Amino acid sequence: MIYKRSELGDSIGFNTMVDKKFKTCSLAIYFLTELSDKTAAANNLAASILTVSSSTYKTYAALSEKLSELYGAGLGSSARKKGDAQILGLRASWLDNRYAIDGEDIGGEMRRLIRDCLFNPNAENGAFDEKSFAMVKKDLIDRIDGELNQKRSYALEQAEKLAYRGEPAECTGYGSREAALSADPEEVYRAYRELLKTAQIEIYYVSPEEDDSFAEMFRTSFSSIDRQPKTVSMRNHSPLKAEVETLSEEFDVNQCKAVLAFKTDSDDRYALKMLSIIYGELPFSKLFLNVREKMSLCYYCSSRSVSVKGSFFVDLGVERSNIEKAKAEIMAQLEEIKKGNITDDEIQGALMALDNAVLQVGDTPSSYIGWFLDCFCDGETITPEEHFRRFEEVTKERMIEAAKSLELDSIYLMLNKEVQAE
Amino acid sequence: MKKEILTSARTGDSCIHVKHSSGLDIYISEMNDFSSIEALIGTKYGSVNNIFRNAADSDYTTVPEGIAHFLEHKLFENEDCGVFELYARTGASCNAFTSFDKTCYLFSCSKNYEENLEILLDFVQKPYFTKENVDKEMGIIGQEIKMTNDNPEWRVFFNMLRGMYHNHPIKTDIAGTEESISHIDADLLYKCYDTFYNLNNMVLSIAGNISADKVLEICDRCLSPSEDKGLETVFPDEPDEIVTSEITEKQPVGASIFQFGYKCTPSDGEQRLRDVAAASTAAALLTDPALPMCERLLKEETINSTFDGEVFYGSGYFTVYFSGESDRPHEVRDALFEEIDRLINEGIREKDFQRIKKTAYGMMIRGLNNVEAVANLMLNAHMDSVGPYDTIEVLSDLTCDDVIDYMRRELRPDRSVLSVITKEA
Repeated sequence: MIYKRSELGDSIGFNTMVDKKFKTCSLAIYFLTELSDKTAAANNLAASILTVSSSTYKTYAALSEKLSELYGAGLGSSARKKGDAQILGLRASWLDNRYAIDGEDIGGEMRRLIRDCLFNPNAENGAFDEKSFAMVKKDLIDRIDGELNQKRSYALEQAEKLAYRGEPAECTGYGSREAALSADPEEVYRAYRELLKTAQIEIYYVSPEEDDSFAEMFRTSFSSIDRQPKTVSMRNHSPLKAEVETLSEEFDVNQCKAVLAFKTDSDDRYALKMLSIIYGELPFSKLFLNVREKMSLCYYCSSRSVSVKGSFFVDLGVERSNIEKAKAEIMAQLEEIKKGNITDDEIQGALMALDNAVLQVGDTPSSYIGWFLDCFCDGETITPEEHFRRFEEVTKERMIEAAKSLELDSIYLMLNKEVQAE
Repeated sequence: MKKEILTSARTGDSCIHVKHSSGLDIYISEMNDFSSIEALIGTKYGSVNNIFRNAADSDYTTVPEGIAHFLEHKLFENEDCGVFELYARTGASCNAFTSFDKTCYLFSCSKNYEENLEILLDFVQKPYFTKENVDKEMGIIGQEIKMTNDNPEWRVFFNMLRGMYHNHPIKTDIAGTEESISHIDADLLYKCYDTFYNLNNMVLSIAGNISADKVLEICDRCLSPSEDKGLETVFPDEPDEIVTSEITEKQPVGASIFQFGYKCTPSDGEQRLRDVAAASTAAALLTDPALPMCERLLKEETINSTFDGEVFYGSGYFTVYFSGESDRPHEVRDALFEEIDRLINEGIREKDFQRIKKTAYGMMIRGLNNVEAVANLMLNAHMDSVGPYDTIEVLSDLTCDDVIDYMRRELRPDRSVLSVITKEA
């Protein structure tokens, strides 16, 4: 693989990854901006609307028809948060021209289509097209309403809202219902113009052959935009609450969910990640072996370190009557680590798992894109091998220090109504 | 040992198929430009295979619902240690899953694939079930069942199947119920293991940065020959008619969801491949946002972009179904009735048909771009008694008339079921 990054304009990075093994080409454009409840929904709607119509393909039907003619080329948007930043994405992928049965120039068609979507969107008089807007607005409101359909992710979202209360990261990456409901085509168009002007922009292009045409297209298209990029601060440690706060909600569910949010003042993200693997990320981690296998309390019980926010989460699905027992064991296992109860086998197992995972970067276009975007967000571009070397340097003492730095901040509980009533 | 090379004339991709002397079918795809390796070993044994016998048995054995899934959990424990522990030493990511008609064990890695493969082949040939370890699993699987019962997508799907099938075990949850699994013990697990984990009933599929010779050398060393005992699984008779045309359930959800499906005639082997191609194309046309029905439903906000169509099939069951979020699922159902009638009467525009075929072709090529997808493709094709690249060929031969014929024959309103999960008041 050949990787190159060039600056197409002020804070506009263009990353190319040429890898002959792929049968497809993939392009991703990310806008990084501050996360705020005021703008998150409008930004998300802006990213979405760019992928449902354009000035050439004025309806979703027309754009879908064109994409399916191009062998089912994919075009979609995403909105998520990383720390206190919002990352809006547009992703496209298509077959490499050598697989075009009728000899079509799929890549050329996609380049024109993407240019059109981004730089000639379906907008007039300072507002996006009403019909396209109505469609993406409904999609967003339905998505927000549908949060509760996925009980585990809903519980995790509520736990984040509780843990990050008063901080930008309190918002979801896709915006609130209220903001989505009040958004209109003018506001969303303004939000898009603001993103083009002020967001940090990173573009990733993965292809089997060298191809400068996309870089040229973006360079030309961005040249007419007055860029005034703003720095984005995503790495902000979340403060620890004065007292552990518990929030519970009741639903008619079969299984209760518990999410424990911890805070840390440690910046040692490599040690925190190693700690999390040994504590609760894998099927040989302490939480799996004890809370699940030994005590049979749950089907899943796992941990996750969010180092950009200095936070750390443990979540599980459990019987209401077993919540306290499970919580006690979760805390007891953390105490074990604080006391230094980490075996060489556990450290070795964590390193082996990381080694396998980093070596798989590059086996899919999305893994390349994800890798380099993460590097950009972390402020330094390193190889997966260097990344692994830093994990190897983590000593047992650093993991113990990381564990000692964790303080319980808040607890979210999804409770079963019937059990509660007894 | 019989070895053949299977090649796709259209894409040039190829893989090796070996009928190993142990009885195991082995598929190998060397993808040496990639770093990772994906391996799956699977048995044709899923949640629907609850009545069976070997040729030497006089009677059929009937086992509790959920036992295939229970066995999958327990096979992860050796006498000495858990399988996860063994993989922790190699760094591989390992997992397993049970579906309606198969159970698979898999690992993904980028190093030490030889050792990982040895672990995989070893543990699936070494069951270790005791009263203690079976009892211990009850609580874990009990929680898994509760978790899936809280999943509205899972509930809406099973409610639809319950509306379709009178007797076929497809209508029962893969993990069973807390009650049904309470009847499982070590002896029953051994009985099922001995019956279904015969290598003649199994397949190994491995793709990625590997050497076929090395894989076969490991198989030669690690596989103990199995005698083909003439396994026979049976299903209760299933009428063509549905049970009920509509099932609605209230759940704590934020968005109401639906699934609307047609009970179709089940088929096998190459006929099934043709049916799947026709049914998938019909489903793609009926959910195509470029066509007027979908465009209208989106404009009227009856559906959103989650609207999708799928084909779901196996031994004795076959359904084409549509799913999505909607507060007005009956309008979606009526629109589908009308659109199917229109397509049957007016025909499909050749231009639209070719677009849909191109999209399907594009998806297949993408699948060949990915180690995990290739390993799954080879395994699933074998389970379906077809070749890994046969679908591409069948698809290219498919005509508009085939799709119209399929819709006329199988997408009948009197065989349709609407399943809805609505918000609690």
